[in-house]
Amino acid sequence: MASVLTPVYIVLTMALAAFLILSFYYTLTDQGYRYNIGWLLQDTSPYMWANLGIGLGISLSVVGAAWGIFTTGSSILGGGVKAPRIRTKNLVSIIFCEAVAIYGIIMAIVISNQETVFNPQKWSEAERYQLSSQNHHAGYSMFGAGLTVGFSNLFCGICVGIVGSGAALADAQNSSLFVKILIVEIFGSAIGLFGVIISILQVTHAKMGDK
Amino acid sequence: MSSAAAEGPFYVMDSTSDADVDPLRPPYTPFFGIIGASSAMIFSALGASYGTAKSGTGIASMSVARPDLIMKSIIPVVMAGIIAIYGLVVAALISNDIKSAANGYTLFRSFVHMGAGFSVGLSGLAAGLAIGMVGDSGVRGTAQQPKLFVGMILILIFAEVLGLYGLIVALILSTKTG
Repeated sequence: MASVLTPVYIVLTMALAAFLILSFYYTLTDQGYRYNIGWLLQDTSPYMWANLGIGLGISLSVVGAAWGIFTTGSSILGGGVKAPRIRTKNLVSIIFCEAVAIYGIIMAIVISNQETVFNPQKWSEAERYQLSSQNHHAGYSMFGAGLTVGFSNLFCGICVGIVGSGAALADAQNSSLFVKILIVEIFGSAIGLFGVIISILQVTHAKMGDK
Repeated sequence: MSSAAAEGPFYVMDSTSDADVDPLRPPYTPFFGIIGASSAMIFSALGASYGTAKSGTGIASMSVARPDLIMKSIIPVVMAGIIAIYGLVVAALISNDIKSAANGYTLFRSFVHMGAGFSVGLSGLAAGLAIGMVGDSGVRGTAQQPKLFVGMILILIFAEVLGLYGLIVALILSTKTG
């Protein structure tokens, strides 16, 4: 049972306390208007959202792939001490984890292809609302797409790694078991594919630019 | 407003110049719909991953003693995959509906989509957690006592239906117009 004085609890409590103190200060000094989510969303640049999405998309996918690879790899190498025949067959599990990172890099390239420069100082007043809402929509879409593919691949990579570790250890006991437990891994890697599908759907409607 | 365009800072459309902006459709409208679509997929993916991984370790453990029961034990993994499909369906439905604010996407639709996304996502997360833990104990128990198989299936169905409730609410919400 973790003690309540562990660093994680201390950090979270301090963050919550800071948030509550700030909220009460603003409310009681008649500055409640400063909590303006609409201002935050509208006045931050769409470039920030787009690039955050791209960065998080690739980096979270790679974190998932890495987590899966070290989970499976350490089990393969441990089980291979007494059963060295499992080395080659179980590389398939490592490749399933690597595929998750490939999904991430493909989506990061696809999302970043949609990102172009726009210049609001060149817009006429008549089209300002249309173009600005379009560019904001594009920025948020890229953020959402990157988040979707990043987190889905993160969870998929961890899942495939854990199942691959089980498969390696079962294979070390009885070599006919590996192919059957591979079925479970295939179900796991479908989750990353779903994330890529939704990410593509989110980013194809995005249009950044001056037109 | 026009002088800010020539010499002012490089704002896309700052909050002071929203005289032309329809207050039902400010430029930041799509943000909430997109967060809904992303959270539908992300949280269902987390639930499905947990279900697959937890049941998968149970299957790997019991397969050494009873290899003949592996195919029957894939059922919890399939049910966890169905949770991911619920999230996929709702996220695809929401994403196809999102447009930019000037194209008629109102704040109402945007927040409705956010609600739909959260309902299927977080329900799917909970259902996936339940399916994982029940599947793990279930396959390990079935390997030792075959009469437990039907009981495991019944409990898994109840856990799966929790994700279905989230899907139903999300579908009701996403067909709301106004």
